[in-house]
Amino acid sequence: MKLKSLLLIIFLSSFAVAQVKFEAKASKTQLGVNERLRIDFTMNEDGDNFTPPSFENFKVVGGPSQSINNSWINGVRSFSKSYTYFLSPTKRGTFSIGQSSIEIDGEVYKTSPIKITVTAAVDIPKDPNDPNYIASESIHLVAEVSTTNPYLNEPVSVVYKLYVAENTGVRNWSELDSPRYNDFWSQNIDVKGQQVKEGKYKGENYRYVVLKKTVLYPQKTGKLNIEPLSLDVSVEVPSKRRDVFGRLMMTTTNRIVTAGKRTINVKPLPSSGRPNDFSGAVGNFEFNMMSNKSTLKATEAFELKLEVSGKGNLKLFKLPKPNLPSALEVYEPEHSEKVSTTLSGMRGSISDTYTVVPNTQGQYPIPAVTFSYFDLNTETYKTLSSNELVVSVTGGPKSNSNENSPFEGVQKTSVTALSNQFSSFKSNGHLEPIAKNPFYNTSLFWWLFLGPLVLIPMVILLTRKLSQRAMDIEGNKTRKSNKLARKYLSAAKKTIGKKDAFYVALEKALHNYLKSKLKIETSDFRKEKISILLSQKEVQKEPISQFLEVLESCELARYTPLEVADMERDYQKAAEVINALDKQLK
Amino acid sequence: MKNVILLFFWWIATLGYSQGNLQFDEANALYNNGKYEAAITIYEKILESNLHSSALYFNMGNCYYKLNKIAPSIYHYEKALKLSPNDKEIQNNLNFAQQMTIDQFDAIPELETSKFINKTANTFSVDGWAILCVLLMCVFVGFFIAYYLSNNTKTKRIFFIMSIVSFLILIFIFVLLNKKIDLDNERFGIIYQQEINIKTEPNLRSETAFVLHEGTKVQIIESYKNTWSKIKLIDGNIGWISNNALKEF
Repeated sequence: MKLKSLLLIIFLSSFAVAQVKFEAKASKTQLGVNERLRIDFTMNEDGDNFTPPSFENFKVVGGPSQSINNSWINGVRSFSKSYTYFLSPTKRGTFSIGQSSIEIDGEVYKTSPIKITVTAAVDIPKDPNDPNYIASESIHLVAEVSTTNPYLNEPVSVVYKLYVAENTGVRNWSELDSPRYNDFWSQNIDVKGQQVKEGKYKGENYRYVVLKKTVLYPQKTGKLNIEPLSLDVSVEVPSKRRDVFGRLMMTTTNRIVTAGKRTINVKPLPSSGRPNDFSGAVGNFEFNMMSNKSTLKATEAFELKLEVSGKGNLKLFKLPKPNLPSALEVYEPEHSEKVSTTLSGMRGSISDTYTVVPNTQGQYPIPAVTFSYFDLNTETYKTLSSNELVVSVTGGPKSNSNENSPFEGVQKTSVTALSNQFSSFKSNGHLEPIAKNPFYNTSLFWWLFLGPLVLIPMVILLTRKLSQRAMDIEGNKTRKSNKLARKYLSAAKKTIGKKDAFYVALEKALHNYLKSKLKIETSDFRKEKISILLSQKEVQKEPISQFLEVLESCELARYTPLEVADMERDYQKAAEVINALDKQLK
Repeated sequence: MKNVILLFFWWIATLGYSQGNLQFDEANALYNNGKYEAAITIYEKILESNLHSSALYFNMGNCYYKLNKIAPSIYHYEKALKLSPNDKEIQNNLNFAQQMTIDQFDAIPELETSKFINKTANTFSVDGWAILCVLLMCVFVGFFIAYYLSNNTKTKRIFFIMSIVSFLILIFIFVLLNKKIDLDNERFGIIYQQEINIKTEPNLRSETAFVLHEGTKVQIIESYKNTWSKIKLIDGNIGWISNNALKEF
């Protein structure tokens, strides 16, 4: 049994030796679209009429190349013949390379199809001997950015370094593309004499050279890009060849290196606690206000200097303006900057110098000016205040804003100057109580004010009454006659009703009247005499006759009976007669 | 009894005056030695005892001027001017103080006549004008009665003209009296804050109309809730200001 199986193995193996092999071998079954594929069709017996497959989705970039390998080892011949193709895929996907066929000893052999997966492009491992590859591996341009997350206006330094591996050399370089720094304030720092220094790059020893230093002040918040710097560098790389002395031969190649694009995320300055007068200064500053004179004469000039010194974005903000008294004439400031820029930012001082001319004398306090900045160390806003200055101006013309007339003489100016001295204190107090009782609008005032007016109508009324009395003749007359009647006829009036007594009294009254008027004696009391006397006094006849009539009726009445009414009538008549006579007897 | 009380009050009053005058002299001495702050405290004491005068305010203004305090200086000069409006010295020193201020405005030109009337109205206080009114009324009434009573045509004519003239003067003085009352009723203030935003409305939200600085004199037109005042500048601009920044005189 054992023998049987042994025989079978020998048989089979002899059969195997005699077997014709025809295979297709792909160098890889999975490759990137940018890679190449080598496929070998190998046979162990020589054959004819090789037909390759169609290589769909592939492009034949090399081949077919034929190779025959025939060897005798220990009397055993080994033979192989292969057709080799280099293929490059044309697209991604899974493809199969179809069958190829060959005719060996009249028989047709076929290979089995091979499945190939084409993936996305992969990094093609470089030929380590390619000078370009060596150059790319040994030359690096790096942009070192000090911070990628700065505040607005915080300085950012960018240093471009060219790293060169120790076994390579650089012949020269030229800048292809200068980086532009949009949205940055930038300043290049001159690099004097490019010194080669030793350094490490990714843990390996390199030599490097600093090509360029730039300080940037971001002027915008958000993500900002720093455009890359590109250099065309001529590089010497070692080749595999050696010269006659056994030294490595160098080959030169040109290579474009770029520092990668860098993105900086700029933070805005905090809005909380931002002072009102903040003008964008970021850094660490000192603030001063100085005047070159503290006392001067009017119309002379002095300089007022506002200075900010320290570290920060000195060129990028405006200095605060001083608030000067309006009586001072101020000219536009002269701005000066003494700023040096280093990698850590700007440093130095900026100042505004104002020329100020006081036109009039007096004391001029210049109020303190405040300046605010954002301190990067403490990340807070700080406000600095300058000291207050006082400029005293002596002498010079007056402050009166009188228009300067061309005829202004010397005397006049001297007089006005004198009157424009600052007056000293008043020594006499004249103190009075603050809460004074007002006089105006009190009732006392109105009484005193309008009281005299009442006098006018009072006086008018009084005088009018007086003058009425003086002027009214008719009234005066009756009043007078009434008086006469009262004087002479009062006795008669009392006795009205008693006939005898009345007429006696009446007669007596008439006599009395005549006596007082004509100055006649009682004995001489006859009617004829009376009428003569009266007519001598130029009395008209009618009153005379009336008078005589009354006298007569007095006499008659003694003998005739009379009523009270008659007596009344006679009394009236007597009164009228007396009046009438009196008018004419002057 | 009544007389005794009156006498007592008179005595107290004169005591106050004499003490005030003593203090005034003392403060002036300090002023003369350059001790302005000490002088101010004494002047303030006199004010606290309810005594004042234009000279007192003037001296205080001088002290503040010497100490370079713009707003208080102008404030006290203005107070002094209010008591004696036509005082040249006060006006002069006020000019000096106003030179220290930052704001400068062009005043709306005043008519010569109104200027003259204002100046004349300021010659006397309200009470002075009132007394003048009373006196002139007496004069007028006297002349009128004299005119009315005189018999002679010539004297009558003279008295009539004089009474008419005195009546016209009386009317003029009464107008001036009322003008003076108007002037006294105008309210003014001094900005006490170094820099203040004048708002368009009496709140902090509203827009800033303009900015004023310390020492500027403004006319107060009206007040709102005792915290805001509507002010008018001499150039005619109007705005609202918080009362904290303003001191009325």
